[in-house]
Amino acid sequence: MSVISLKDIKKIYQLGDNTVHALRGVSLDIEEGEFVAITGPSGSGKSTMMHILGCLDSPSEGGYLLNGKDVSNLPRQELADIRNRQIGFVFQGFNLLPRTSAVENVELPLLYSRPVMANTERHDRAVAALTAMGLADRLDHHPSQLSGGQQQRVAIARALVNHPSLILADEPTGNLDSKTSIEVMRLLQELREKQGITIVLITHEPEIAAYGTRIISVRDGVIISDEKNEPRSVDPIEELPPIAAASGY
Amino acid sequence: MSVIWHLVIMAWHTLMRNKVQTLLAMLGVTVGVGALVTSMALGKGAQEAIKEQLLAAGANMIVVNSGNYQVERAGAGGSPADHAAISKPRSPILQTAQWQSRPIPNFPNVKLYRTHFEDDPMAEHDHPIASERLGDAMAGLGAAATLTLQDAQAIREQLDGIEFVASGVHENARLTLADDERKQWFTRLHGTESQLPVIRSGWIFPYGRFLTAGQVRNAEQVMVLGKVVADRLFGENVNPVGQTLLLWNQEFEVIGVVGSRSWASQPVAGDDQFDAVYIPVTTVHSLLNLSKLNTITVTTSSAGETSIIAKQIEELLRVRHGITEQMPDDFTVRTQSAQLLGKGLAPDVARIVAGNLESIEALTIEQLAASLQRANSTMLALLAGVATVSLLVGGIGVMNLLLLSVTQRTREVGLRMAMGARSRDIASQFVLEAIVLSVVGGLVGATGGALISETLEQLFAWSTEVSFLSMVVSIAVAALLGVIASVYPAHRAAQLNPIGALHHE
Repeated sequence: MSVISLKDIKKIYQLGDNTVHALRGVSLDIEEGEFVAITGPSGSGKSTMMHILGCLDSPSEGGYLLNGKDVSNLPRQELADIRNRQIGFVFQGFNLLPRTSAVENVELPLLYSRPVMANTERHDRAVAALTAMGLADRLDHHPSQLSGGQQQRVAIARALVNHPSLILADEPTGNLDSKTSIEVMRLLQELREKQGITIVLITHEPEIAAYGTRIISVRDGVIISDEKNEPRSVDPIEELPPIAAASGY
Repeated sequence: MSVIWHLVIMAWHTLMRNKVQTLLAMLGVTVGVGALVTSMALGKGAQEAIKEQLLAAGANMIVVNSGNYQVERAGAGGSPADHAAISKPRSPILQTAQWQSRPIPNFPNVKLYRTHFEDDPMAEHDHPIASERLGDAMAGLGAAATLTLQDAQAIREQLDGIEFVASGVHENARLTLADDERKQWFTRLHGTESQLPVIRSGWIFPYGRFLTAGQVRNAEQVMVLGKVVADRLFGENVNPVGQTLLLWNQEFEVIGVVGSRSWASQPVAGDDQFDAVYIPVTTVHSLLNLSKLNTITVTTSSAGETSIIAKQIEELLRVRHGITEQMPDDFTVRTQSAQLLGKGLAPDVARIVAGNLESIEALTIEQLAASLQRANSTMLALLAGVATVSLLVGGIGVMNLLLLSVTQRTREVGLRMAMGARSRDIASQFVLEAIVLSVVGGLVGATGGALISETLEQLFAWSTEVSFLSMVVSIAVAALLGVIASVYPAHRAAQLNPIGALHHE
């Protein structure tokens, strides 16, 4: 069973007097353990795709099966629950809460899990996720006290803390220098290789897309190419801590 | 519970991310709650003050006088205030054969005047004194002393609901300054006990102190002057303590001056309280070779019970004095409420008392105080108005902060929504922040209000009373205010579109 199955997805916005056809019929299947890079220039519809994949928005037409469940026409609150349980987001610019410790940032998704999670369990899981990202000594640091790469790793820990079936990374290297970008991409690759997590990466940079196992190019709301890719490999970097398989991530 | 506590802590941290904004919004709530607590403290204080003033004026006091003037007055009409007492259902004394047989001239229109006053009881009299003429029992019909120290003791020990008992002997007295015999003052003399100031709770002592139990026990020749006496003999604002006065050609040392702290009874010449001197009852007894008392003054613990206890005292004394059914009392029991009429009591209080004369038995101090409270209502309305306006402004401040916060934190809201927060989670986060803000502001305000009330009392001698309840109520009001102020901002935040919010700059 595919993790993601899109069937002829269309998305139409009304922007003032203009009708914008953001997606004009996209069909796509993503299997478990794939690292899919969706690429395209701005205005191509890749962001809209990301929103629909992330259950942040519903398609105007078409069907979306996430882990076999039709999520294309769910009410707001149920979409929130699905995002909480099944999808981990990594955003451009980290999107960490300022003046809030790393642990508290990672705890954020757990705060909204149902049934309500006990404080200690929430804290323990957040610490475990951060430890897996090699940030065990940065638990109480605020984002402003962390480097860009560290911040992005906190964001990844946050995406992973709920054990989602899918990681959606929206331009995760957008604000990072090239060295740190490579670190982050290596981290995502390891997640896939060691834990078989399905990753969908949205980027406009071809060299970032090259880290995926499959590259989908979008233009004008349709898929123009969908190819397997031999992922660009990076030698493990000394400073980069290996992901502790034992931690469960 | 712990999850909620965690959320409260988080809300606090969030608020502290913008300290200045938060503190400014909090200030509004603080001022509002402070004004609320202060106004409640002043309101309660005013009520307590009125109650205290009424108690100080003697509303819970019973005075037992020896002798019974009712017989005399029954023929002569008497004053309106006495009718209630006269109409008490006693057997028709004037008609009883036993009574009529008494050898009193011109009966039934008995005119038993107070025995001609013995200005100097040490002097030789050229006529028989009251008890010699009439005998103690009959003398009781007039002014002779029929009460004893033992009667006072019995009241003290045998009745419930009694607070204090003080016995007294009263005479007229001519005081002379030992150093300057031209300086004299004719006044009332009260032989009493050390507990009298406790009964007369409205008394203050500008100089010296009242009689001590030891001075009473040892029948010392010491004297406490009423303020009027002290002013007349020594001049105003002169401390007479330690001076010597002559009474009955005996030397008495002045040990104190008594004044009033109640607006309901101020010292005036001839008022029997402050135009008077106090010496130990035992001293009077030993110097004049007396054993009787003129009065027993009693206070009750509850002002509402005076009439019941007055009745009990009457029954007790009738038994102790061996008075049979048909005979009238040889004493008079009076509650002070009736005596307050037109006697040193502020006109408005007197009006309330007089207006309720019929039901005065049932009239409690609390009711009197509540009636008087209306006089303060303008002041209180003003303060309540200030509190309301400040709370309103505080509420608007909180709402403002939250609206600003929703705008500033749109990305955060989007992020939380992406992480799975439902609209309700987002809304409750903002409501909780508003509650935390208001409650913290409220706590500071309530504390501040209590301090201000205390300061007002210290600096301006305003009566204030901060009750725990008023503080709890104020903080609850603040919390409610927070909830109301947060409804609109929380709704706005909850309705944000996660995509738009995430990409908000």
